[in-house]
Amino acid sequence: MLLIEDDPRVRRSLHLALQDEGYEVGEAASGAAGLHQLRAQAPDVVLLDLMLPDTDGFAVCREVRRWTDVPVIIVSARTDSHDVVAGLEAGADDYVTKPLVAKELSARIRALMRRAHQPQATDPRTLDLGDISVGVDSGVVTVGGVEVDLTRTEFRLLVELCRNEGQVVSREDLLERVWGYGYLGDGRIVDVHVHRLRVKVEADPANPHHVVTARGLGYRAVP
Amino acid sequence: MRRLLPRRLGLRDRVALGFGLMSLVLATVLAGAAWLLVSAYLTAQQEEAALAQATDHALTIRAGVRAGQDVATLVDRLHYPEDGAALLVLDGERYRGTTTTDATFPQDLVRRTESAGGAPVHETSHGGTYLAVGIPMGEGDVFLELFPRADLVRTLRALWLSLLVSAVATTLLGMVAGRVVARRLIRPVEEVTAAAAAIAQGDLDARLDPGADTDLAELAASFNQTARSLQNRVRADARFAGDVSHELRTPLTTMVNAMESLKHRRRLLPAAAREPLDLLDHELERFRQLVIDLLEISRADSGDEEVAEPVRVPDLVRRAADAAAGRPVTFVEPDAEHLEVEADRRRLAQVVTNLVTNAELHGGGCTSVRVEAAGRDVLLVVDDAGPGVPVGSRQRIFERFTRGPEREEGGFGLGLAIAARHVAWHRGTISVADAPEGGARFVVRLPISSGAVAPATAPTTNVGA
Repeated sequence: MLLIEDDPRVRRSLHLALQDEGYEVGEAASGAAGLHQLRAQAPDVVLLDLMLPDTDGFAVCREVRRWTDVPVIIVSARTDSHDVVAGLEAGADDYVTKPLVAKELSARIRALMRRAHQPQATDPRTLDLGDISVGVDSGVVTVGGVEVDLTRTEFRLLVELCRNEGQVVSREDLLERVWGYGYLGDGRIVDVHVHRLRVKVEADPANPHHVVTARGLGYRAVP
Repeated sequence: MRRLLPRRLGLRDRVALGFGLMSLVLATVLAGAAWLLVSAYLTAQQEEAALAQATDHALTIRAGVRAGQDVATLVDRLHYPEDGAALLVLDGERYRGTTTTDATFPQDLVRRTESAGGAPVHETSHGGTYLAVGIPMGEGDVFLELFPRADLVRTLRALWLSLLVSAVATTLLGMVAGRVVARRLIRPVEEVTAAAAAIAQGDLDARLDPGADTDLAELAASFNQTARSLQNRVRADARFAGDVSHELRTPLTTMVNAMESLKHRRRLLPAAAREPLDLLDHELERFRQLVIDLLEISRADSGDEEVAEPVRVPDLVRRAADAAAGRPVTFVEPDAEHLEVEADRRRLAQVVTNLVTNAELHGGGCTSVRVEAAGRDVLLVVDDAGPGVPVGSRQRIFERFTRGPEREEGGFGLGLAIAARHVAWHRGTISVADAPEGGARFVVRLPISSGAVAPATAPTTNVGA
């Protein structure tokens, strides 16, 4: 994994603790160094601090998203909810706030990695939702025959909704099944990912026909 | 005279009573004056008419006597009012001209008329029901006549009654008017009271409308000014607390992760180093929790916006409570299974988590979390197996940094304050009592969604009508 964090002591302590959890950790102290390392090492997960000396974490996140779907966890030192939402909108898969403990972080990372590599064998090979076709094993999603590029989290979210086609799936259930959260996950993670998913698969993201909101309950896939 | 009305009465009652008294005095004076004027006028008019008629009769009799007519016939033939009577004393003889009445003349009226020196005499008699008139005719001759006053007495009684009724009605009207005026006068005071109460309960956005009433604009302006500075002060405090805990977060991250590494190598440390390591680890965890709680509080105080959406309470409570206790503790009453409230999921889950965690750490373990329907509210009841909360501490326990009597494991007393804060945000109430099986019982009461989304802040209160 790659750890992009400017404070050397935080970076070092997280490095050591994550190593104890069994991860191979690469370090970067700035956004530029982080992007450089990302190309060189192709890590499984990126841990990205939002406050960096050269550029902010959002820009780094957007840059990462331009060419890879590697899971990104942003580390926020602010409680301001705008930060979290902005980070998720920039393409992050999940977020944690300081003070974060390596052990808890490890659980988040494992959940992200697991779902990144784990198509279910019992599933049919493709799920169809109107003109959207989801190749569960291949990871290929097409809309009207044209392939669209989803991040792994967006893909898992779409698969989870398609498997329960027509039924409302609550945010809590989605957090549990897609992100591996317990009950206290932040529903905004789901909302932002649904929003990003709509931009990619809906003809008119403002008036979605396939990924529909059930107000107060959750989301529902409609053919 | 300093205090005419008892102090116990409210301002509204006092104004109403004052208006009533004023109307009573006014009505009495007016009715009294009307009574005096009208009764005097009617009485005088009757006397004048009676004197004129009696004089006329006396002249007729005298003319008849001079013409040599029979005196008795003369007296009898005159026209008297019904129920009236006449008496002529002529040369010592008495002639009675009568209609239907048996009424007799006042005893010494003849003598008093003789000695009146030529002027007519009149007086009321028979308890005011008759007016007796005496006309001197010279040389000891006298003509007396009785006029009935029943009509006049009836008229005066009717007048008196109607004046009394209107005085009473005016007094009552005055009191009603007083109440109405008092209510209008007091409304701004009530609005100020409501706004002040809202602020006291933590709604720092409550304001008065300064434009509504020119008389009260100054009051509203200074009230709003006070509220604004209070709010700024609270926000600044919250920001400071937030900044402090924010600055603490980075070193804390280093500390907890370095501690993780140390704990990982605990076996490699000499035995003498293990105990201080455990102590440090313990305190570090407390410290971390404190910073997290402080951030939560400052986030709430600085007005971080959250969304209210329909939340199915039993599901959320079951997930949060069972996870916090680490075992199933939640019981949902059958009629509460589908209850929804307009809530912020994260905050509501935090309320449940904090109450259950409090029961686990300080209350000898959580014995049950129940979800019940109670009219238009939903109740969350959290029972524990601890010693309970003394009556004197039941308010204080929801304040920041209050802790139990013993210095117990962990907890800086922010958990219940956060819970109370979040419950208030949901327009609910939180209280603590004794559980029937012993231990403490925390009860959270939340209003059930009525379709409308609960606004996060109270609307501005208007001053004036």
